[in-house]
This record gives sequence, C-alpha cells and structure tokens, in this order.
Amino acid sequence: MVQAAIWFIGIFQKGGEVFTSLVTGIIPLVIVLMTAVNALIALIGPERVDALGKFAAKPGVLYIPLRYVVLPFVSVFVLCNPMAYTMGRFLPEKLKPAFYDSAVSFVHPPLGIFPHVNPGELFVWMGIAQGVEQAYGHEAVAALAVRYLLVGLVVILIRGIVTERITAIMWKKEAA
Amino acid sequence: MKGITKFLEKIGRGVGKVVGALYQAGRDSIDQVIKNILPFMAFISFVIGLILVTGVGDLLAKALQPLANNPIGLVIMSLIIGLPVLSPLLGPGAVIAQIIGTLLGTLFANKTLPVATALPALFAINPQVGCDFIPVGLALGEAEPETVEVGVPAVLFSRLITGPIAVIIAWLASFGL
Repeated sequence: MVQAAIWFIGIFQKGGEVFTSLVTGIIPLVIVLMTAVNALIALIGPERVDALGKFAAKPGVLYIPLRYVVLPFVSVFVLCNPMAYTMGRFLPEKLKPAFYDSAVSFVHPPLGIFPHVNPGELFVWMGIAQGVEQAYGHEAVAALAVRYLLVGLVVILIRGIVTERITAIMWKKEAA
Repeated sequence: MKGITKFLEKIGRGVGKVVGALYQAGRDSIDQVIKNILPFMAFISFVIGLILVTGVGDLLAKALQPLANNPIGLVIMSLIIGLPVLSPLLGPGAVIAQIIGTLLGTLFANKTLPVATALPALFAINPQVGCDFIPVGLALGEAEPETVEVGVPAVLFSRLITGPIAVIIAWLASFGL
C-alpha cells in the first residue's frame, strides 16, 4: 500500500518539477518578448499590412515569392494566428487556398524566436526544443530555432506553389 | 507662449500613446500566458511526469524510436500524419503535434535521438498543421463557398506531397547541427 502510494504521488512530484522548470525557465522570457513585440506591432499599426496584401495579389511569376513567403511571414508576424488568414481577402479566389496553406504552415516555425505569433501552440516547438536543450545545450537550441524559421520559409513557398497548382487543376475539373 | 503649450501637449500625447501601447501589450501577453500557455504547461507537465515515472515512456520510445531516428522513418511519419483522412482529425489545437513533440523531447533529453534529427522531426510531427481549420481560414480570407469546396481537398492533397518534402528539406538543412 505504502509503496503504491509513494509511486502514485511520485508521478505528480515529477510533474510538478517539470512544471516549475517550465514556468521559471520559459515564461519570464516569453512574457517580456511578447510584450515588446506586441507594443511594436501596436505602434506600427497592423492596418499597414493591407498595402502589402494588395501588392502581392498581382499576377506574374515574380510575385510568387512575395505571395507565399513575404506576405505570410508579415501577416503571421503582425496579425498572428488566426487573424493572419484574413490577408487572403486581397487575393483572387483561385489563390486563396494556396495562401491559406502557406500562412497556416508558418504559425509554428517562428516560435523559437517569436513566440507571440502562436503562444497557445508553443509546444509544437517547445516539446522537442526543451529535450534538445537538456541534452545538447543552449547553443544547439538557438541554432535549431534559426533553422526552423528559415526552413519554414522554404517550406511555405513550396506549399504555396504546389497548392496553387492542385487548386487550378481541381478548379478545371469542377467546371467541366 | 502658445507655441510652448502646443509643443508640450504634443510630447504629452506622444508619450501617452507609447506608454499606453506598452501597457496594453503587457496586459495582452499576461492574458496569453494565463489563458493559453500555463494551462498547456500544466497538462504537458502531467503527461511528462506520467511518462517518466510509469515507464510508459520507454514503451513509447521503443515504438517511436525506429521512426524518429532516421530520415526515412520521419518521412513515413509525416506521410501517416498527413493522410487526408487523418490530418483534419489530428489538427485541432495542434494537441497531437504538441504531445508527440513532447514525447520526442524526452527522447532527445536522454540522447536516445541524435540532435541531427530534431529539425526534420519538427516538420514530421506537423504536416497536418491547420488541416482542421481550412474552411474557417478561407472564410477569414473572405473566400466564396465554391473556393472552399475546391480549397479543402486541394490543401489536404497538397500536404501528402509537401509534408514529406518538408521533412527532407529539414533533414538536408540540419547538417552541421
């Protein structure tokens, strides 16, 4: 009985330890960083992103990186999840699914550096990151955070292009 | 005199605006921490405690390890999670991705997994991102119903292709980590 009780309470002791280390290790930094970025966004004014949205809607190959890298990056950074998807309203109907795919795929890659974009889903990044930090140290995590962000940019470009193609093909089938 | 008063008023307003924005920003971040981050940390702490103490972690580790310790396994993982049937179900709140991520985190913590697989793993656990949210996300972008009709399957199928591609790019990008 006593053994069982000790084992049972051990689960929550361990959990408590983990909780304490998460709260003291992560929360203070996240709060200060989020405050700074939120203030910056409020002072710049989120409505200024609209101009970029209109610009990215133009047709042409040159605008593809603008539409699926720059626009998702800026909308996610400034408007955050889920308001970033409202920027799709400036694009023609056929490009909206591709833009959504691109934007929604970018709500996690910046989390290592800019947790304000999606604090509710921090652990998509943090789960792996804290394990890496424990075993391989702070520098490995920093390198990982930067690469996660950069690879994220490449991935959203590819997602935008692929989804744009698939949407176009399905659109034709639907019309036929 | 009038000039000075106007000048002072201008400064006062400017400072007020900045301080107001900073204060509001602080309030927003505390709100976010209390409403979103802390509850999830509580939940994750419990899961980690359970995993570490009961030994479930070892079982899960044995199950996940063959998939997670090499790029091919991670590509397979992204294919499974990205299946158009599964991805909308696994999406909500990114809860599944966060739990698998935390599980893998415990494997990184005890060095069962090499640090080189961390970046591809981050993409392998997440090919379903936003798949539950496509109609809402498109509606936020003021899309017509016909666009939603085409857009939902288009994004779901696209993930089958781009999910594994993302893992491969991430794997190529982790040399030197």
